[in-house]
Amino acid sequence: MNRLRRRPLAFWAGLAAAVLSLLVPIALNDSQLTVYVFIGLSVIVVAGLSLLMGFAGQVSLGQAAFYAIGAYTAAILTRALEVPPLLSLAAATAFTAVVAVAVGLPLLRLRGHYLAFATLAFQLIVLSVIGEARGLTGGDTGMPGIPTLSIGPLAIQGQYRTFIYAYVTWVLVAAVLLFNRNLVRSRPGRGLRALATSEAGALAAGVPVVRYKLQVFALSAAYAGLAGGVYAFFVSYIAPGSFPVLLSVQFLIMAAVGGLGSIWGSAVGATVVYLLVQLLQSLGTGPGLPPQLPAILSYAVYGLVLVLIMLFLPQGLLPAIQGRISARRAVSAVESPARLARLD
Amino acid sequence: MLEARGLTRRFGGVVAVDDVSVGVAAGELAGVIGPNGAGKSTLFHLIAGHLRPHGGRVSFAGRDITREPPDRRARLGIAIAFQAVRLFRGMTVLENVMVGAHAWTHHGFWEAFLRLPRHRREEGEILARAERALERAGLGEAADRLAESLPLGQQRTVQIARALCADPRLLLLDEPASGLRAGERERLADLLRGLKEEGLSMLLVEHDVAFVTRLASRITVLDHGRVIAEGPAEQIRDDPAVIAAYLGRSRERADGA
Repeated sequence: MNRLRRRPLAFWAGLAAAVLSLLVPIALNDSQLTVYVFIGLSVIVVAGLSLLMGFAGQVSLGQAAFYAIGAYTAAILTRALEVPPLLSLAAATAFTAVVAVAVGLPLLRLRGHYLAFATLAFQLIVLSVIGEARGLTGGDTGMPGIPTLSIGPLAIQGQYRTFIYAYVTWVLVAAVLLFNRNLVRSRPGRGLRALATSEAGALAAGVPVVRYKLQVFALSAAYAGLAGGVYAFFVSYIAPGSFPVLLSVQFLIMAAVGGLGSIWGSAVGATVVYLLVQLLQSLGTGPGLPPQLPAILSYAVYGLVLVLIMLFLPQGLLPAIQGRISARRAVSAVESPARLARLD
Repeated sequence: MLEARGLTRRFGGVVAVDDVSVGVAAGELAGVIGPNGAGKSTLFHLIAGHLRPHGGRVSFAGRDITREPPDRRARLGIAIAFQAVRLFRGMTVLENVMVGAHAWTHHGFWEAFLRLPRHRREEGEILARAERALERAGLGEAADRLAESLPLGQQRTVQIARALCADPRLLLLDEPASGLRAGERERLADLLRGLKEEGLSMLLVEHDVAFVTRLASRITVLDHGRVIAEGPAEQIRDDPAVIAAYLGRSRERADGA
């Protein structure tokens, strides 16, 4: 038990990151705060994806579909049915998880590339359903005028609207990351990591493989649904175009860049990729540049980043940095999941 | 304790296991031997629940488990060590062993998420039992190493430690000695003998006749998917049908040369 006691460097690094990210919004202007919120929402989605892919070994190329379902559920509930926003957000999260269970029951029998394509197909179906159900969703023109988040009479609006959303997002990110950390270091967490390598071995050890796969799929969808719900309240306008397939790819790259199987890596990956994409967008939209340039840059860069990461840092950014540090400290260089289990 | 009756399994036109019955009494170490291709592994997977039999029944502690999936069998108290080592990559030896505790623990996603009391209590028990299982298997030193970094012999032992962490009533072992060096083989035999003395029931499916006859009290011999002999170890060793099954082919080959 003694080896579990020492507070490692990672703990202090994590604490520093938490404090820093808590202080950052004070220094930001409104448009920077908007970026901060979007990064936070990405972190939430990517945290779920990292759990699904990095720990349980199941691929999803349709995570933006769950993001969309969360956003539309929250929007429809508050706008058409006048459900209080907070309740709508909870309902959107739960409903997205339920959809994931219904979809996952048949899909999770597939593995690897087949599962990736099936989830991709699922997203295309969701997008066309949203586009066609005009009475409910406004079709391709989208849903404007979604109310903002509120608790009773206290609504997030006015001068500090974006600032408050930044902190709402921060709290949700912190909760999600802590949830993940708790889950990974537990009986079901070990079961998930086990079934990623060998389903037969996990079954024989008593791991209810089918149930766990379904649960982690639903969980990752619930995170995406939650983030989608907040997104709808924050931007107050959603359309099918807000949730393209490219967004699913972006989530996947964020997860890979941060480090699949690394809990805090989701935050690193989402931040790095989001800022990189922003940077390229602003580079591509300069005066005198062709209008297709931003799109080309982002597509090309997704591909390039993924290739580079897979070539040089196959475990992802954060585990690679952690590996460097612990190698320098002459601690035995083990992979991150192995070390994670001993952090507390 | 374990009773398999009339198990039959076909693959296409080939009958891999044909009307085979084996049993393990409480506290017994029973053996199944047979030459390559005799149907040992198929029989093992039928009993372990990874294959469905086309005929016959498996019962455990008086309960029919023929249609129970492997994870349910694990919960009932059947633990397994595979021939093809199925360790979990990216996890330490200790964590691998802790997975075995799924059989007798209960807490799920929510309890882990919210760190509820049952999670805390069970995690303590799991860690304690896993460390005990590792010590028992002689792997205490390797607890924090990545499981896949160990040599094959120790990986086999990790599987057995994982099985022990499940606190099983019956341990199924599929060719645990294959691919091991002489020293590793001795240590494995000692471990199994010790577990038997502690009263654990075991079914040992193994190619190596000498290994099984040293350990098992009762042996079933398979050839071409059928039982060709059954009885105490001493008797089996001298059974002409068994000798023929193991040596017959090489003698034919020798004659032909």
